[in-house]
Amino acid sequence: MRNSVANEIKKIAKVDETLFVIAGDAGLGVWDDFKDSKQFINPGVNEQLDIGFGAGLSLMGHKVIYYNIAPFVIMRPYEFVRNDICYQELPMILIGTGSGITYAPAGVTHYVVEDIALASTMPNLDIFSPADPVEAIECFKYAYKSQKPSYIRIAKNGEEIIHKDDIDITKPIFINKTNSKHILIVHGSIVDEVSKILDFVDLNIVTMPMLTSEFDWSSFLEDFDKIFVLEEHFINGGFGSMLRDKVDNKIYKFGIKNEYIHKIGNRDYLREHYGIDGHTIGEKIKDIING
Amino acid sequence: MKQIATNIRKNILHIANLSGSPHIGSALSCTDILTTLYFKILNLDDYENRDLFILSKAHSAMTLYATLHEKGLLSKDDLEGYYQNGGTLPAHTDRLTNPYIEISAGSLGHGLPIASGMAHALKLKGSERKVYVLMGDGESQEGSVWEAAMLAPKLELNNLTVFIDRNNLQGYARADEILSYEPIDKKFEAFNWEVFRIDGHDYKAILDAVNTKTNKPKMIICDTTKGKGVSFMEDELIWHYYIVTDEIKQKAILELEGSSDEK
Repeated sequence: MRNSVANEIKKIAKVDETLFVIAGDAGLGVWDDFKDSKQFINPGVNEQLDIGFGAGLSLMGHKVIYYNIAPFVIMRPYEFVRNDICYQELPMILIGTGSGITYAPAGVTHYVVEDIALASTMPNLDIFSPADPVEAIECFKYAYKSQKPSYIRIAKNGEEIIHKDDIDITKPIFINKTNSKHILIVHGSIVDEVSKILDFVDLNIVTMPMLTSEFDWSSFLEDFDKIFVLEEHFINGGFGSMLRDKVDNKIYKFGIKNEYIHKIGNRDYLREHYGIDGHTIGEKIKDIING
Repeated sequence: MKQIATNIRKNILHIANLSGSPHIGSALSCTDILTTLYFKILNLDDYENRDLFILSKAHSAMTLYATLHEKGLLSKDDLEGYYQNGGTLPAHTDRLTNPYIEISAGSLGHGLPIASGMAHALKLKGSERKVYVLMGDGESQEGSVWEAAMLAPKLELNNLTVFIDRNNLQGYARADEILSYEPIDKKFEAFNWEVFRIDGHDYKAILDAVNTKTNKPKMIICDTTKGKGVSFMEDELIWHYYIVTDEIKQKAILELEGSSDEK
């Protein structure tokens, strides 16, 4: 996802002189062929400045992209994002890498398991959580055209491509369509657990890349009996919680328990620890459906 | 200039009294800086190519509002709608309220990073437009100020001029009593800024500093007096938060008018 989005940015930068990238001393190798451009700056390790500086450029007519590891995009400079970007209604694009626990076992300082909760407190900030490089590029294209501020959380590199056809990131995208009366909604890189879930239970599965879309969820979910949401985010405050606020249906939420993570291990190990791996989720959903 | 500054100070007292809002001391300390900027320095004739003024110490928004009014860029109705129910102007600036209010601000330490981005954008375009920032001395303790302080000289932003309103009284004490503040000029010099230290109530000193040519970003430390122009408010900590009652307003305006007549 990371390289796909960066390549798209560099492609657009060739024809749009207003496009400007701020990389917060992150993205080793990603910007090597762009770092000498007048449309790029690495101001150093200073996330508050990165956001404020970007706001200044944006106020002068630039389409600004701020790229950094996700905790340093939303959490560290939260108040600068709130005041300088969102309050001022600037169409800046924030791109955070290492969504969820991508950077396990780097430690909790490098996880973003509460970023959706934080980002969703800012009224006009659009939030995107793409599941594969195709979704990531489409999310970026949407944000590039948008007049609103955007936050795109992506994993890192090497994610499998799951979409072969054109997609609309403002609507749920089916990646498994069956006659089941039940549906699983998933976003972000944890989509790679889906095939394991289908080993246990057959159900409809959709990805939802644009979490703040105005999509009519109530009508869409009318056709389904049990609705499950799986995400690599704290179970409270993520997309499952956002959806619960929008619809009357009962939503079964699967995510990471809201606690500071002191367990050490890679991403698969932590997914298993928190019971959000495909095997565990498959069994849980099967049990719920079968009563 | 003195008469213009007096008019602005009278309107600051007027809206502070109407609204019952705090920060009169901070508003009066930077009045002469804004007066000089708006009446001698800023090019505002062509809106699209105007110079930009960033009020980073946005708790002094009353000074900006009164100055814009004096300049004919903000109506009396808008001015008197300051801090009122259903009014037009908040205690800290919102850029959507007037075309000459460049940023929404209030939380300290935001102005210099934003202004640095603006100045860099103008340099990329080869524009001659200038960016001016006013920060407070308490505000310049924020980490984000020092983040920008490292970047602006690196980018050779010689179109960026920053004033610090060094009135030597922040919310609860003098800066040096709270932390190791001085020598603030030497600190910015060490960061490779072109630094001036002047009397912030001396119009000529402000102009001379602004007009000095340099290839570096410019930092003008303005030694000022909190509450300047109203003797019983001058250098008194309480006027950071105290409210201007009818009686106080009357007494202050009489003093300002007397002082203005003397000149």
